[in-house]
Amino acid sequence: MTVAAGIGYALVALGPSLSLFIAFISKKPFLILTLLSSTLVWLISLIILSGIWRAFLPLNSTTWWPFAILIFSSIAFQEGLRLLFWKVYKRLEDILDAFADRVSKPRLYPTDKMQIALGHGVAHAVFFCLSLLTPAFGPATYFVDRCSQIPFFLVSAIIALAFVTVHTFSMVIAFNGYAEGNKVDQLFVPSVHLAAGMMTMINFAYGGCVIGIPLLFLMAILTVMHCGRMVWRRLSESQRQVDS
Amino acid sequence: MALKIVFLILLFSFRFRLSLSGNGQTNSMESVPDLQKSMYMVVDGYPCVRLVNLSGEIGCSNPGRDKVVAPIIKYKNNKELGLPSAILLSMDDVQGFFSRISNDSSFASNVAGVLVESRVEIQHKLKGFSPARKFPQAEFAPYHNTTYEWNPIGSGIMWKSYNFPVFLLSESSTSTLQEIAMKNEKTEKAYTTNVAEFDVVMQTTKVGTHDSESCLKEETCLPLGGYSVWSAVPPINNSSSNQSKPIILTVASMDAASFFRDKSLGADSPISGLISLLAAVDALSHVDGLDNLNKQLVFLVFTGEAWGYLGSRRFLLELDQQSDAVRGLNSSLIQLVMEIGSTGKGFSQGNKTFFAHTQVSSDTNEALDALKLAQESLKSEGVTVSNASSSNPGIPPSSLMAFLRKNSSTSGIVLEDFDTVFANKFYHSHLDDSANINSSAIVAAASLVARTLYVLASDKKDSTSSALSSINANASLVEELISCLLDCDPGLSCELVSSYITSVDTCPSYYVGVALGEPSSTPSPNQVDDISRFVWNFLADRTSTLKGNTTVCSKDCSNNGGVCIRAETDGKGICVNSTTRYVPAYSTRLKLDSGTWKVLPPNSSDPMGMLDPVWTESNWNTIGLRVYTVQEAAYDRLVLLGGISVTVLAYLAIVLTRAYITKALKQD
Repeated sequence: MTVAAGIGYALVALGPSLSLFIAFISKKPFLILTLLSSTLVWLISLIILSGIWRAFLPLNSTTWWPFAILIFSSIAFQEGLRLLFWKVYKRLEDILDAFADRVSKPRLYPTDKMQIALGHGVAHAVFFCLSLLTPAFGPATYFVDRCSQIPFFLVSAIIALAFVTVHTFSMVIAFNGYAEGNKVDQLFVPSVHLAAGMMTMINFAYGGCVIGIPLLFLMAILTVMHCGRMVWRRLSESQRQVDS
Repeated sequence: MALKIVFLILLFSFRFRLSLSGNGQTNSMESVPDLQKSMYMVVDGYPCVRLVNLSGEIGCSNPGRDKVVAPIIKYKNNKELGLPSAILLSMDDVQGFFSRISNDSSFASNVAGVLVESRVEIQHKLKGFSPARKFPQAEFAPYHNTTYEWNPIGSGIMWKSYNFPVFLLSESSTSTLQEIAMKNEKTEKAYTTNVAEFDVVMQTTKVGTHDSESCLKEETCLPLGGYSVWSAVPPINNSSSNQSKPIILTVASMDAASFFRDKSLGADSPISGLISLLAAVDALSHVDGLDNLNKQLVFLVFTGEAWGYLGSRRFLLELDQQSDAVRGLNSSLIQLVMEIGSTGKGFSQGNKTFFAHTQVSSDTNEALDALKLAQESLKSEGVTVSNASSSNPGIPPSSLMAFLRKNSSTSGIVLEDFDTVFANKFYHSHLDDSANINSSAIVAAASLVARTLYVLASDKKDSTSSALSSINANASLVEELISCLLDCDPGLSCELVSSYITSVDTCPSYYVGVALGEPSSTPSPNQVDDISRFVWNFLADRTSTLKGNTTVCSKDCSNNGGVCIRAETDGKGICVNSTTRYVPAYSTRLKLDSGTWKVLPPNSSDPMGMLDPVWTESNWNTIGLRVYTVQEAAYDRLVLLGGISVTVLAYLAIVLTRAYITKALKQD
């Protein structure tokens, strides 16, 4: 591949994140901070996980159940961290809003929370896709035996894109769920995360990536739709509040 | 909402029923460098490099400063090449391929690189393969018939210049590359090809120095050279009257050549002769009364003979100059030169047959009689020596040619395993290996030479004397030398060799190499190559007379006299009384002047020097061969376009959604 292909793969994985970033930070540079701190927190969570699992590596790649345990435990850890993250964020939001009131500036808007949500997605893409992308800028390409139709880097970028979508919109749903106390939303997020994670194991089978990747995108679309439905619900509620 | 949860649960169960176990091996990659290593496969092979002489160049090189990248295609005789490709060639097709290169320029322009397969079975099917010329080094012959074909199989392909890289693949790489070439042919994925990347960038090509004089001046090349070894039996005492004894020189050479620099084995030509010489020295070392011989025996092993008789010419020059390296030898006392050429193929149906090639002279008759006497004593072992056919124009290509060109009245005999044409069907090729020779022929030649030398040196005329029949070459020593010098396993790490020297490589290659550093009679070990150091140590050990107390040494024994052998083996060096010295071997037309080599003008007192091509080898940075898969440029651009469009579409979607929400809320 070449520099062109390398940039292409990076854009496939992180292009929409870039668009989201540009669309919202153009008015509020402060959001760069929120994005970076969110990304940092989630990267640290991934590093802690890899530190814990280092003792058990390398896993025997002919059986699938060690990988299932790996994915399950990592997702459980991250969901727990998400709850913690929410509690810290709530405290921080109160402080920031009080400060904004004092200096007569606008408060944090719901769309600003998107940057925090985005941080989670970007961390995933950086850790799982971008870090592997350096060889993609050289002249050679690479095909994995079990997925011989699509180049490895393309598969990696597409999966990263799906997960960026899932993580970004999940965080929005989760925060909303915690704020409103909506149990369905609160349960939806971990289950989708777990399902998406487990779905990547389909790639273990020969030619499995042809099935696994569309399924993953299905999860992503599901998340976007649920988020859209939730936002629509919030909007119509607030509309009714305004009207009444 | 409930529907969604049910759907999810269904998804879970569906997934668990899929078979997830992948059988077969996957390479476990643990890091990005591992990924890079799996993407780029390094292929081991033996390159053909660029050699330069006074009038031009031979050998192979990348055409410029960059690496050559080309798709791998298997060679088919009638197929035309559409684009520059890396050709995978079988040994059967080599000759045909190279003749097609020289005749068909449109075909040659599409050859980006060549990979030659190597298979053990192929060697038996081949009738012969020799990239040397039909009369090797004909210009040095002391007779006029230079069109005589000593090597009729010779194609001369290694003496031409090619502007593409050529590699000989190792056996494991051959099967890998055959698979890859087949994959390329099937093209299951039309947008990828497997390519080979050649890195054989030669400095002379980069700088543009295409002849020896300019490349030596620009220091982009180094002259070929090494160190020859000579040893005296019995050791020459500086003060005694030994110095007036007539000298009998026994000569062999230890360098081979081949199209592929690092696979120059030369099992039959000339290493079988070298092994015969070493075994003869060993046999003679067990004889009593060597001090009372009437003549002085001197054993001489040259290097650089394949590239213009560098060793023999330099030795003769140093003899004239009475230099330090040949102290104790008086050229006027040399009575006979007995050269041991190739001896490994002199075996057929239990009989060992050799031929004595001579240039007619008075003293050679005495030597021929001695040979006949030795043959008589070895009759029970089926050894015969015949005079070479009189229809031959003269002696075959050998170091004796250098002696005869210097002094045409020198008496000399070249002992070979062939009569009118080379018996070696793989002369100067990478296929001249241990399967090409027979050890009993080498043993027979060694016994023959040892007995002949004893007869000549002791002036005895009795073939049945017990002293003569006790001189026998040690067959197990010969077997051991063959396995050490001509095989990869155990190779140069075998016990015999490692008791004298420490060697980096185990696989042998007898290409003479380049002259490292200032030539001197006492070079440091890192200036001398493995075979020269082994021969020096072996000869010093076998020709030594035992000393009372053996003192331990690490470098030299000047205070005790004598030489330090086994110095490289971890402080177990011992001083022995022996006359064994190194003689530099490099062209008589070259001189090292303040760190750079200079070509001297031709001198009529050195007729061979006037004909010397002055071979040099180009310098290079690295030589490598890699194979990897490449995507079509169109596919790369498609991916880039895909990435950009995903980004742009996402941006549009976000902006639209935001505008919609703003309109709905009249805020933000």
